Amino acid sequence: MVYTQRTPWTLIMGVIMVAYAYLVQSGALEVVIKYLGTGRHAGEMLTLGYTFGGIAILIGLWQLIAKAAEGHVDYYLSTIGGVIFIMLVAFIVKWGLDPQMAQWGRAAQPALGFNFASVMNLNYVVMGIVAGIVIVNVFKVPGWAENGVRLSRLGLKTGVILLGALYSFAELQQLGKLSIVLIGIFVLGSVGLVLWWGSRHNLPNSMTGVLSAGVGVCGVSAAVAAAPVVQAKSTEIAYTIGTILLFGVICMFLFPIVGKALGMGYITFGAWAGTGILNSAQVAGAALAFQPTGIETLKVAEIFNITRVLFLPIIVIWLAIWYVKREVGAQKVDVGQVLVSKFPVFVLGFILMFLLSSTGIFAPARHYQGSYFDNSDKVMIRKDRSGKEINNYLKDPDLEVLKKDAAKITRDDQKTALQRLIENKKLMSIEDDDTLRGVVNAKILSKEGNAVLTKAHRAVRHTAAKIAMFRDLIAWFFTFGLIGLGMQITMASIKQAGGQPLVIGSVVGVIKAVGSLIVVLLLVHETI
Amino acid sequence: DRHEDSVALILALVIALLVYLFV
Repeated sequence: MVYTQRTPWTLIMGVIMVAYAYLVQSGALEVVIKYLGTGRHAGEMLTLGYTFGGIAILIGLWQLIAKAAEGHVDYYLSTIGGVIFIMLVAFIVKWGLDPQMAQWGRAAQPALGFNFASVMNLNYVVMGIVAGIVIVNVFKVPGWAENGVRLSRLGLKTGVILLGALYSFAELQQLGKLSIVLIGIFVLGSVGLVLWWGSRHNLPNSMTGVLSAGVGVCGVSAAVAAAPVVQAKSTEIAYTIGTILLFGVICMFLFPIVGKALGMGYITFGAWAGTGILNSAQVAGAALAFQPTGIETLKVAEIFNITRVLFLPIIVIWLAIWYVKREVGAQKVDVGQVLVSKFPVFVLGFILMFLLSSTGIFAPARHYQGSYFDNSDKVMIRKDRSGKEINNYLKDPDLEVLKKDAAKITRDDQKTALQRLIENKKLMSIEDDDTLRGVVNAKILSKEGNAVLTKAHRAVRHTAAKIAMFRDLIAWFFTFGLIGLGMQITMASIKQAGGQPLVIGSVVGVIKAVGSLIVVLLLVHETI
Repeated sequence: DRHEDSVALILALVIALLVYLFV
């Protein structure tokens, strides 16, 4: 049969995309971009708008004029309409809804007391799925787009493989032993608990698998990464993400209250939040709610958070083996042979990218997710494109501001760090950088003083361009994949899954929160 | 699934090569 459906829509969407890119380029949309604060996306608006728009116009025209004949060309090109459709939705979500929601979140913060957009994790990931669900349930996915929607899982898998490039061995070595042991127990423990419980209650293996990764590791991204490993259905992913976010929001409000009631210290609370709360954004939220005036709690929570995310590769491999074994069932088979024939190739791709990234070809070896510290003269004094020299050392007026403000600082470590900065006109170590970041967040100095400290921080903190590029690409692949997944979630499929995943996820979440509280109180003292 | 995984792997490696060469 012929798969390509004759439709003018591919062509129309292509024209819309190119027109949008042109309007951005000509500056006609400057007001909108300024309002949404999406200026940093202007480059990708042009690249993606012209690229996908151009492809859509060419293919759309050709499909209107030529008569499609059966065969490979027809089959694979029939996906273009759907791909362009998803990309158009992705453009709207990423350049429109996401920044708009962030705006509303900030605007409502004084009234609500918290930023609902970041608390509810209303970013492009969640909104992409929601957009897909709304489209399929309210409008239906048009017939000419159906074959393209079937490419969404490919996008997700490619994103997961590229995710490997963000990690490296070097950052594993920077983590404290304690955080690794603590997190290891709780991550692996909660994954094991969900797997055991799910199989006892005869939940589908795919549902159990994706739920265990979501509850065990770090919420949404873990669930997304684990989904293809256990061949999860889109509904199951949506369920897991719903459970995680609902549970995370509750945790975010309860943790600081419990922490204050028990009189916990910064480090103890940071360790507890980093272990017990499921989602990175909500860990940060709880840590900041507990200690709004400094970043000690946040830093500890972040260390635990990072450790937890780094367990993701282990979990993915574990789930792959578990799933293959479960699916084969109790038949007498050679497990090794089955593993070789069934093990997901893209998981190997993830590991391969991790190894490539560890060799340092994408960023300096000591980077954390692409950010690294460098205060050598090579970066402090360099020439810009026109050959003009840029000097990033602090200038005399800057130093005057700091000297005037220095009396406001009371803590000794902060005093010496500031003194060293004034003497050297640049930050001398990562530790000094961190200490003075705390001063900025606590708003101890005058506004001018804070501006100088931020300037000094930016001079020594660099982002590896290649890693930044990978992050952008991963975000697009995930957005594409999740919108497509959302388009496969109908109301009927949600009813079919039932409420059991929600119950199991919540119970394991509570066990983890209480368990980690007890262990942290026993093991963690105010030093790490 | 194997087929899909392989396509994803090739796609990712091509992208990584392009990033390595041009970014």
